[in-house]
Amino acid sequence: MVLLKILKKLKQKEKEVRILVLGLDNAGKTTLVKKFNGEDTHTISPTLGFNIYDLEHRGFKLNVWDVGGQKSLRSYWRNYFESTDGLIWVVDSADKARLDDCRKELHLLFKEERLAGASLLVFANKQDLDGALSCELIAEFLNLAAIKSSHWKIVPCSAHTGDNLLVGIDWLLNDISERIFFIE
Amino acid sequence: MSVKFSNAVNAKKKQSLLKRCKKEETSGDDSLTEQQLLAKEYITPEDVIKLSSFTEGFLCSQEANCYDIEFTRFKIRDMETGNILFEISKPSPSEYDEDDLGIQEQEDVDPNAGRFVRYQFTSNFLKLKTVGATVEFTVGDKPVNNFRMIEKHFFRDRPLKTFDFEFGFCIPNSKNTCEHIYEFPVLSPELCEEMINNPFETRSDSYYFVDNKLIMHNKADYAYNGGLN
Repeated sequence: MVLLKILKKLKQKEKEVRILVLGLDNAGKTTLVKKFNGEDTHTISPTLGFNIYDLEHRGFKLNVWDVGGQKSLRSYWRNYFESTDGLIWVVDSADKARLDDCRKELHLLFKEERLAGASLLVFANKQDLDGALSCELIAEFLNLAAIKSSHWKIVPCSAHTGDNLLVGIDWLLNDISERIFFIE
Repeated sequence: MSVKFSNAVNAKKKQSLLKRCKKEETSGDDSLTEQQLLAKEYITPEDVIKLSSFTEGFLCSQEANCYDIEFTRFKIRDMETGNILFEISKPSPSEYDEDDLGIQEQEDVDPNAGRFVRYQFTSNFLKLKTVGATVEFTVGDKPVNNFRMIEKHFFRDRPLKTFDFEFGFCIPNSKNTCEHIYEFPVLSPELCEEMINNPFETRSDSYYFVDNKLIMHNKADYAYNGGLN
């Protein structure tokens, strides 16, 4: 199955990757994607479904799916797992009260076979806010070390200012392409 | 297919390859007429892909949309400048930008109002290279599986481009947006001239499918002579 996936990808001329962006509501998923896409981020309302974007970056075609994070929507996340190459998990670093929720939801995802193997980028978002927890603390709270089925990395960022978004996305694309496009 | 969206993943590529092989085998004209299609119980993506021209009428009734899918916003931006060229949203239809391209939009009033749109652009529109088109739509109480759009553009009988996009699953009562970036096909100056001189002979059919059954069919026509009169 995995081999088939690799072969399929190799045949493609364009480097297309499918990226799924998830996280609790109010984590800043839509702001993050819009900021990266160079769009206005001043009037963003809660996502009550999905937002799909076509982005181009470093010769990659990114097909980005940003799915709403409200509790009522989370049971539908699974419908978007298929063919995902990279998962971006966005965390509100200042929302300490819900870190526990955040950890549970993240680990639930990795019980899914369809996501196993997808590169995981955790964005410790809202670093511009006072009281934002450090990347290291969040990694610990989320128990990232327990995730063995995927490559993962945590990057501190601010979707609001755009700080460090590129660092994270570049890591994700490098990891995906090492796994998928250039296997000889 | 002149434009391919990244989400139309491998499966579709394989499909189209298969289709091509099949075509070569039969080597006959397997395109269906509108009448033949209307006689079918329901219409599939394969059926409309085979259509070689725009249709005279609509291939399904407005009632076929039993999922209450409704388009609520449409926006086009020029990816080279970032400028919004056109934006219309349903709750406040008067809300659209008119910039130096002088784009106007008006809706026809007839029983099919709501599924036919007339666009009046200036000739500058034909010079655009890369645009981002955003649609926003809402979904009713039922979950929607395999939501797919196929949009075919023609000048007279000549195909200009086809978009094929799989939205996949849509959450009940959701509001969703999707921005496609696409390259406009390169049209010869002669063809552009003809399109400018023959307003509303450029047309598109947008077909929407749920679980491979046609549930919505919208039409548009286009003029590129705005600001010339």
